Amino acid sequence: MNQENVIEIKNLTKMYGNHVGAKNLNLTVHKGEIMGFLGPNGAGKTTTIRCCLALIAKTAGEITIFGLDSHRDAVAIRKKTGYLPGDFGLIPSVKVKSYLKYLLSLSEYNSTKKMESLAERLQLDLDRKTNELSKGNKLKVGIVQSLMADPDLIILDEPSGLDPLMQQEFYHILREEKKQGKTVFMSSHNLAEVESVCDRVAIIRMGQLIVVEDIQVLQEKTGKVLEVEFRDSVTIDEFKLEGVSEIRQNNGRFILTIHKNLDNIIKAVSNHRILNMNLKTYSLEQLFLKYYTEEKVDERGDG
Amino acid sequence: MMFGRIACMELRTGWKGLLIFGLLVIIVSAGMPLIFPTYRNSLIEELEGASKVNLELPNEQGGNITLSWEPLENATSYMVLEDNRSSMVMAKLKYMGNETSITFEKDFEEKRYYAVMAVLNGTSDPVLIGIAATEKSEDPFQELMQNPAYAGLTGGRSISMLEVKGFIALEFFSWWWMLAGLFIAYLSVSVIASDFENKRMDVMFSTPISRRRYLVEKFSTMSVIALFIVLVASAGLAGGLTSINALNEISAEAVFLSLIGCLPFLMVIAAVGMLTAVFFQKVRVGMGITFAFVFAEFFLYTFGSFSKNLEWMKTISLFNYWDYLAVIIDGLFKTVDFIVLTILAIVLLIIGIWVFEKKDIPT
Repeated sequence: MNQENVIEIKNLTKMYGNHVGAKNLNLTVHKGEIMGFLGPNGAGKTTTIRCCLALIAKTAGEITIFGLDSHRDAVAIRKKTGYLPGDFGLIPSVKVKSYLKYLLSLSEYNSTKKMESLAERLQLDLDRKTNELSKGNKLKVGIVQSLMADPDLIILDEPSGLDPLMQQEFYHILREEKKQGKTVFMSSHNLAEVESVCDRVAIIRMGQLIVVEDIQVLQEKTGKVLEVEFRDSVTIDEFKLEGVSEIRQNNGRFILTIHKNLDNIIKAVSNHRILNMNLKTYSLEQLFLKYYTEEKVDERGDG
Repeated sequence: MMFGRIACMELRTGWKGLLIFGLLVIIVSAGMPLIFPTYRNSLIEELEGASKVNLELPNEQGGNITLSWEPLENATSYMVLEDNRSSMVMAKLKYMGNETSITFEKDFEEKRYYAVMAVLNGTSDPVLIGIAATEKSEDPFQELMQNPAYAGLTGGRSISMLEVKGFIALEFFSWWWMLAGLFIAYLSVSVIASDFENKRMDVMFSTPISRRRYLVEKFSTMSVIALFIVLVASAGLAGGLTSINALNEISAEAVFLSLIGCLPFLMVIAAVGMLTAVFFQKVRVGMGITFAFVFAEFFLYTFGSFSKNLEWMKTISLFNYWDYLAVIIDGLFKTVDFIVLTILAIVLLIIGIWVFEKKDIPT
């Protein structure tokens, strides 16, 4: 399949003195996908993103966005790109609306329609002063500004921090953008978040890319951990089903590592009287361990 | 785009502070001419005080000088100080006692000054009765200006503090460069460094704004602000001069031109402020360096005035290229100086852009 690449990162290295920000990083983001960029704090996600936007210089490597050189053609790229920084400040003492209009004018985008509809969906009051906003509302301003000029590429640096309802609405907005052919590149340190919204995920640790995977494949590879406690006695053999890679028994609790066939497994479990049940996603660290060692991960997933 | 949205936003969020500063400028620039008549009167009184002390010179070389003064009520004793400078900063005690006249031999050639003071009953500080000199002088400030140290600063001009011209030229501008210079230094650093410190750069440079345009717009904001304070100060000075009917002594045009002359001077400071702001990206560091720069320029000029051998210091000082005395005293506007400083400001701005384009924006 011949896919159009929106972002192409080749051998990106960024050093901060002796400290490695990113090392020999290769990554491609296709047009029309939501690409997750997963890694713990300090892994190099923000460094990579800020190199893409020419906010910082590269030490080595090449980045092309829309086929343009990230640093030489930075202004042209930014005309079609929206960006939510991980940390940002607003111009104080102006109304949110004036601030956003100001940014729109810098982007030479004349319509405020999208800005207004985004604000309404995220329940952001445009008449508030920028210095009177809560943390969540400030994040909403950041989200609105990243999307309001209708960019073809949306880069989001850890866009979490809204209350759960708003976060869902935000993911919904991102999926709509995707439907319109927009490309989303978002960083996160939360695997569950990436799973719920992304098509593909790139995992980064200590400045190095570990793996790029389809979300489905990732889920199958890593699986989920099901912890069940039963009222009645159950034998371990009942759960030796397809898709279960490991079963452990611990104080009457069954701990199952599941890769696929979740439906069948849950049905098998529901044959018994359940006292307690918990389904967890792997934590990032366990995921890294998985990809580093290619060994079985510890079952005690803690989400 | 030289003056665009960024510049407008800067003025929109900063107009209150600018207005307050403008008010201060107008109070001081209008107040300066207004206090001149009072100042002049007390200066004349002081000069008249000199006549309370009588100095008789000998007819021939090596004769005796007789110094006499009117007795003061309540005076317990009198003191006579001697110096060869009118400022009396290196004065030596010549006499102390109850007499109201002293006689001594004139065994020197140069001009000497005598200050007679009375120690009053019940007070510890002596009171000046008057000053006399071995040669006649009408305006001690004029003499002070002929002192080599000051002559360099005034370009060898004879400036009288008894004239409004001299008063404005020396008193107004001696604080104006500091007030305007430091204000511009502070603003030019903070309009950029505060964008770094408050993490506004990431959003700014996610819009299709180049770093060059950003700096050019900030620079043009500073030009507008500098022009504003220059116009306010001109209006204040002209207004003050009008109200004391002194516009025939200094024309409104001269006032305006002498202040316009400091525009490129202020823009060089702004360019230095912006350069330090993009390099250090911190308000405090940038301001410290830019303030130091402004004072360094002043000291370069002052030290350069002290000796012919140090004249090179003067040449590299910004103050050498803003000759407000030439405009006020001689009515001469130095266009070449204006152009030299303008070019310097633009060169510094270009260096600032070059540095900014190389620098990482910190998170």
